[in-house]
Amino acid sequence: MTAPQSPQGAGGAAAPAASAVGAAPALRGLAPDDLEIRLRADESSRVVVLVLYAVAIGWLLVGSIFGDIASFKLHWPDFLTRQGWLTFGRVRTAHLHAVNYGWATAALIGTSVWLLPRLVHTELKGALTALLGGVLFTIGITVGIVGVLLGVNDGMEWLEANRYAAGPFLVIGGGLVGLSLFRTVAARRAQHLYVSVWYILGAFIWFPMLYVVGKWPTWSGVESAAVNWFFAHNVLGFWLTAMSVGAAYYFIPKVLGRPIYSYQLSVIGFWSLALFYSLNGMHHLVGGPIPTWMVTTSIVASVFMFIPVVATGINLHMTVVGRFGALRHSPTLRFVVLGAIAYTAVSLQGSFTALREVNRVTHFTHWTVAHSHVGGYAFVSFVAFGAMYYVVPRLVGHEWPSVRLVRWHFNTVLAGIAIYVIALTWSGVAQGLALLDARLPFQVSVERSIPGLYGRSLGGLILTVGHLIFAYHFWLMVRMPRGATRRTLPPFHEAQPILYTAEADAARRGAPAPAGASAQRRAEGTA
Amino acid sequence: MTRVSLLALGAFAIMAGAICLLVLVPQAMLADVQAPPQLQPYTERQLAGRRVYIANGCVYCHSQQVRDPAFTTDVDRGWGARATVPADYVYDRPHLLGTMRTGPDLINVGQRLPDMDWHLIHLYDPRSLVEWSTMPAFPFLFEEKPRSAVGPNDRVVTIPGPRAPRGVVVVAKPQAVALADYLLSLNRQYPVAADTAGGPRAAH
Amino acid sequence: MIPSSLAVIVATAALTLLAAAALAWAWWRGYFDDLDAQSRVIFEPRDWRLERPWESPVDRLERETTYGAPIAPAPGEWGGAA
Repeated sequence: MTAPQSPQGAGGAAAPAASAVGAAPALRGLAPDDLEIRLRADESSRVVVLVLYAVAIGWLLVGSIFGDIASFKLHWPDFLTRQGWLTFGRVRTAHLHAVNYGWATAALIGTSVWLLPRLVHTELKGALTALLGGVLFTIGITVGIVGVLLGVNDGMEWLEANRYAAGPFLVIGGGLVGLSLFRTVAARRAQHLYVSVWYILGAFIWFPMLYVVGKWPTWSGVESAAVNWFFAHNVLGFWLTAMSVGAAYYFIPKVLGRPIYSYQLSVIGFWSLALFYSLNGMHHLVGGPIPTWMVTTSIVASVFMFIPVVATGINLHMTVVGRFGALRHSPTLRFVVLGAIAYTAVSLQGSFTALREVNRVTHFTHWTVAHSHVGGYAFVSFVAFGAMYYVVPRLVGHEWPSVRLVRWHFNTVLAGIAIYVIALTWSGVAQGLALLDARLPFQVSVERSIPGLYGRSLGGLILTVGHLIFAYHFWLMVRMPRGATRRTLPPFHEAQPILYTAEADAARRGAPAPAGASAQRRAEGTA
Repeated sequence: MTRVSLLALGAFAIMAGAICLLVLVPQAMLADVQAPPQLQPYTERQLAGRRVYIANGCVYCHSQQVRDPAFTTDVDRGWGARATVPADYVYDRPHLLGTMRTGPDLINVGQRLPDMDWHLIHLYDPRSLVEWSTMPAFPFLFEEKPRSAVGPNDRVVTIPGPRAPRGVVVVAKPQAVALADYLLSLNRQYPVAADTAGGPRAAH
Repeated sequence: MIPSSLAVIVATAALTLLAAAALAWAWWRGYFDDLDAQSRVIFEPRDWRLERPWESPVDRLERETTYGAPIAPAPGEWGGAA
C-alpha cells in the first residue's frame, strides 16, 4: 500500500515527527511511517494551498457580486447603466471569468496541489514555484477581468481576456503550477497511480493545448466559431470537470473508508470521457452556419457521453449507496456527493439538449445558462466546497470553529442553486417555446422569460449570502493559531446571553468567589 | 514505457486527434470559401463599430445567424430570407454568431432597420423606442451637452417621448456612430448557392 | 432524431475501435493487473479502522474482524465542523 519509508532515510525526520505528534495528537493509530509521509505531504503543500484557497474565496465573492448585478439588469434594465464598466455585456463576462477562472480554477488547483502529494506519497516538489505560478495566474485573471470591464475584449466567449496583456501571466503561471505537479509525480514513491492522479495530470496537459488553440490569433469567420466552442466546451470537461471528478474520486471513498465501487470502471470512465468529450463542442452551434458533419459528430459524441457519465456515476454513487447516513456526519460528503449527483444530472441533461429536436427549443435561451450553473455550481463548486472543508483543517492544524456556520452555508447554497436552476430553466423553456412560434412577436419571448429571471436573481442573492458565510468562516479558521481547540470567546453569532452574578464571573475567571456574596443573596432572597 | 508517460501520451493523442478533426480539417475545408460578390469588406468605421460591439458585449444577448427554415422558424420570424452560410462570415474576425437571443438576431438588422438615427436613439435609450425592451442603455457612448455647447459637426440625437433628458442635447460620440454604422452593414440578404461546405440544408 | 450520416457513423466506429484496441493492448501488457490494489492506495491502515458513526453494527464488526480494533476519529475527521 505505501512504499516502506524509514524515518531516518527521510532526512531530519526526528524533529518533524516530534512536532507533528505535538500538532496532531488525535491521529492515533497511524504508523510512524505513514504519519511521516502524510504530514510531509501536507506540510509541503500548505502555503500554496491556503493561498490558492484564499484567492479562490476572494474571486467567489467578487464573482457573486458581478453575477447579482448582471442578473438584476436583465429584469431591471435601467439599473446602473450610466457607467460603461458596469454595462451588462461587461459585467456578465467579468462574472464568468471570476467564477470559472478565478474561484473554480483556484479552488480546484489548490485541491489538486494538496491531493497529489498525498496520492503519490511524496512531498510537493517546487512548492515555491507553484506558489509563484498561482500568483502569476491570478494576476493574469485580474488583468483580463479589469480589461474586460474597460472594454478590452478579444471577442470570443470564454476567451475574452486580452492575449497580450493577460496571456503571458496565465501561460507562465499555469505552466509553473503544472511543472511542480509533474515533478512531484516524477519523484513519486507510490508505485500506483490512483485515478485522481490521471484526472489532475490530464487537466494540466489538456488545458494548455486548449488555450493555445483558442487564443491562436489567426482564426476568422465560422472557423473561429468552431474553435471558440471547441475551447469553451472542452475547458469545462478537461479542466473543471477533470479536477472535480478527480477530487470526488478521492474524498468519497476516503471519508467512507471503502474503496471505489468498481475501479475497472474508472479506467473506462477516464478514457471514454477524454475521447467523447473532446468532440462535443459543436453542439453549441446546432443549426448554425458550420458544416453539418461537424455538428452531427458533436451530437453523436454528446450522446456517447453516457458511457463515461454512467461509468463515473456508478462508481461515485454506488460507493455511497447504503451509507447515505454519512452525509449527516460529514459536510464534505454532503457537498461532494451532491456534487457528483449533479455531475451525472448535468451530463445527461447535456446529452439530451444536444439532440436537434430538443435544441430547437432550448438554443439561444436561458435554459443554457441554467444548465451551465448546474455544472459549474451544483457540480464543480459543491465539490470544491466539500474539498475545502476537508483540506483546510489538515493544513491549519485545528478544526472548523463553528458547526452552525457549516450548516448555514450548506443549506443556503443548496436552496440558492435549487431556486436558481428551477427558475431559470422555466424562464428558458418559456422563452424558447415563444421564439419557436413565429406568429408570436419577439416581445412575447422577452415578457415570458421575466418572472423566471426574478427567481434567478433571488437564487443568486441567496447564493451570495452563502458565500459570505463561507468566507467569514474561512477567515475565522485561518486566524486561529495552529493547534487551537477553542477560542476563548465564541464568535459573535454563537454568543449566548449569560446571567451575570459575581460568583459566576469569579468562576469564569478562575478567581475565588467574593466574600459575603452568598450571604447577601440569601438575604435578598435571590440565592 | 512508464505509466505516467503512457497516460500523458494517451491524453495528448486524444486531444490532438480532436483538434485535427474539429479544428484543422474544417479549416482546410473552409479555406476555399469565397466571399460572395455582393458582400463588401467592412470599412474602417464599421470595423471600429464592430470593436465597440465586442467591447460592450452585445454578443451575449444577440445572435448573428439565421438557421435553416426546414429546421426552425428564424426565417418565418423575419430575421432573414434564407439561412446564413459560412461565406457570409468571411470578413468576421472573430465571429459574433452568439448563443443567446435575449434580444433579436442581428445578422440582417441593417436591412430591417436601415435608419442610423433610429439606432442612435435606440442605443442611447432602448425604451424610448421599444417600451418592453430589456436592453441596457448605453448613455456613455453619448455626450449630454447644454444646447450652447453643441458644435456644427456634432451628431445630435433627438430622443422622442417622455424619457427624453431635460435641458441637455444628446450628441453621439464617434463610437456610437461607428457602432450604428456597423449595425447598418449587417445585411446578408443577397442570394447564395448552397455550397458543399455546409450551406442551407435540411437537418438530418 | 438519431443522425443517419454514414460518414459520421463510420468515423465514430473507427475511433471507438481504435480506443478499444489501445485499451486491449494496455490490458495485455499488464497495466490493469493490479487495479484492486490501486483502488486501495488512498487508504492508510488508520482509515480502515476508524470508527464511523453512520455504519451499522454489521459493518463495524466486519471492520473489526478484518482490520483490528476500532480507532476513535479525531474531531472534524469527516471534513467540516464536528
